[in-house]
Amino acid sequence: MAHIPTANGTAMTGASSLVKSLEAANVDVMFGIPGGAILPAYDPIYDSTIRHILVRHEQGAGHAATGYAQVTGRAGVCIATSGPGATNLVTPLADAAMDSVPVVAITGQVPSLAIGTDAFQEADIRGITMPFTKHNFLVTNPDDIPRVIAEAFHIATSGRPGPVLVDIAKDALQKQTTFDWPTSVNLAGYKPQIYPNKSAINDAAVLIAQSAKPVFYVGGGVIKANASRELLELAQLLGAPVVTTLMARGAFPDSHPQHLGMPGMHGTVAAVTALQKADLLITLGARFDDRVTGKLSTFAQNAKIVHADIDPAEIGKNRYADVAVIGDLRETMTALIPALAAVLAKGRTDLSPWIDSMNKLRATYPLGYDTPADGALSPQLVIERLGKICGPDTIFTAGVGQHQMWAAQFISYEKPRTWLNSGGAGTMGYGVPAAMGAKVGAPDTTVWAIDGDGCFQMTNQELVTCALNNIPIKVAIINNESLGMVRQWQTLFYDSRYSNTSLESKRIPNFPMLAESMGCVGLSCESPDDVDATIEKAMSINDQPVVVDFRVHRDAMVWPMVAAGTSNDEIMIARATAPDWDSQEL
Amino acid sequence: MAIHKIEVLVENEPGVLARVAGLFARRLYNIDSLSVGPTENSTISKMIIEVSVEGHSLEQVIAQLDKLINVISIEEILDGAVSNSKHDTQPDYQN
Repeated sequence: MAHIPTANGTAMTGASSLVKSLEAANVDVMFGIPGGAILPAYDPIYDSTIRHILVRHEQGAGHAATGYAQVTGRAGVCIATSGPGATNLVTPLADAAMDSVPVVAITGQVPSLAIGTDAFQEADIRGITMPFTKHNFLVTNPDDIPRVIAEAFHIATSGRPGPVLVDIAKDALQKQTTFDWPTSVNLAGYKPQIYPNKSAINDAAVLIAQSAKPVFYVGGGVIKANASRELLELAQLLGAPVVTTLMARGAFPDSHPQHLGMPGMHGTVAAVTALQKADLLITLGARFDDRVTGKLSTFAQNAKIVHADIDPAEIGKNRYADVAVIGDLRETMTALIPALAAVLAKGRTDLSPWIDSMNKLRATYPLGYDTPADGALSPQLVIERLGKICGPDTIFTAGVGQHQMWAAQFISYEKPRTWLNSGGAGTMGYGVPAAMGAKVGAPDTTVWAIDGDGCFQMTNQELVTCALNNIPIKVAIINNESLGMVRQWQTLFYDSRYSNTSLESKRIPNFPMLAESMGCVGLSCESPDDVDATIEKAMSINDQPVVVDFRVHRDAMVWPMVAAGTSNDEIMIARATAPDWDSQEL
Repeated sequence: MAIHKIEVLVENEPGVLARVAGLFARRLYNIDSLSVGPTENSTISKMIIEVSVEGHSLEQVIAQLDKLINVISIEEILDGAVSNSKHDTQPDYQN
């Protein structure tokens, strides 16, 4: 809030006050589409220093704001008009809420006297978005605009981040007001706890030091808190195994010897088993999601729980916490490191049998895949080569489904904020617009969207936006001509009855032609022998978006798998194949 | 099933009742009774809510309520008949 471009007390319209407020909140870019109710705001936007990127669908604006926020750590901003413009933001707002992403959405509303009359393009967007915004506002008095915008950014970015929607009646934008940017934000009912309780830190340190089988269960909160360096120090201090959830990939280097991989429904055998057999879970910014725990009553039955999170409502929501530490994770770990070191200095529990057994499990059951005998292209090979060739500085986004899981499994993430996906909501179509936002937030970094042929057909219109606005993202369509994950479930649980999962996307559309028509370079690859050359060709093009149609075989499945509703103990490494537990000493 | 009575101080703003009621509805918490009234401070209203807890702990209900920005404070009203809440987990489900 340091930079105030316009002196307080200046007379102007509500619309100008909105734009000045966004400038005062240090917004540098926003994604949106104008329309009747928000039109007054678009006039001062025309003169603003803020870059406005005109998208092709409001959903694209919302996911782009999310991608921008996940890469930069700053609030992403999207803007839309009333009615359908606003309701098109519903999916990305729900998505951002589930993954705790700071997004501020600005929507126009019909004039205040028309609210409640079913006016043209009226929708109760504040009512609609109450369940999945961190907070939302309806502004009918132009004098409120600066305060509300300041509060919106404060709420979105502090504590557990999340989306905030500000709905502004058209007459509030049109009326005269005075711009008055607040010097501070004071919300009686909102005071997130940043610094952890000292006795909780000490209790956690004691419990950790007593444990013979501890595991660091790392969630996306570590990335939100920019606490990867502290995590590395804490993990190395104890030496215990680390698992990173789907939202935490990159929070801890994949190449680190303590890392066992991703837990959960499609996690590694070592990561899933480590949680199951542990006597202590050191839970950092994770929330015991059903995709991680499997059947909750059988999850980590012998483990005590240290649960560190900034959101008190996550404590005990799904799993009882023996020690709860509320606070910012970076502050928590900064306090925990010396506290643990002090306790460990008095005597350490020997972790080596535990570490050895987990390392053995990791070596015995690495991630892998079968190569089709007929020489067809494997989706996993494409994704693995993308990771290898593009390297750890590249930002990857994904849609939702098989390709997302393979992208989480077969790419080695070494740095935070290099892996963006829709974890909680599972929003198909997230990949392309999120990549657009990511590239705007990190213009000097290569950004790849790894997308499915189903996902791509939901949101690919934003490639036009990318082509016209010099946002040269790269898209790898993992084209298995199917809704692949649904098809996998049909194979496993519905007797291979493939009801409505065949998209026929090797026939229609022609993806390279579609890409070319949208101002992108379109490439195609069907043979394993051409994968590297195709990726290198795509990497050599930096003045245009690139879309590669990787035409892969359709029968590949994501393994390992813990079937929904079953115990993590029932993890399968291939169809009807469990790990050989008898040969393991756990 | 334990019934708890809680006193919730909220900002006196349009839509706050909808926020509270919506939270209870979407998380499947049961409201047995609810009343809203003014306080000596005209910017603050007081809600008295009776909630029957089944499959959720009272702590969880309170923690979720406290996440609403317009909720200022929450206190359990103990009048002898109210049992202490215990830690609980949600039942297993499949999806």
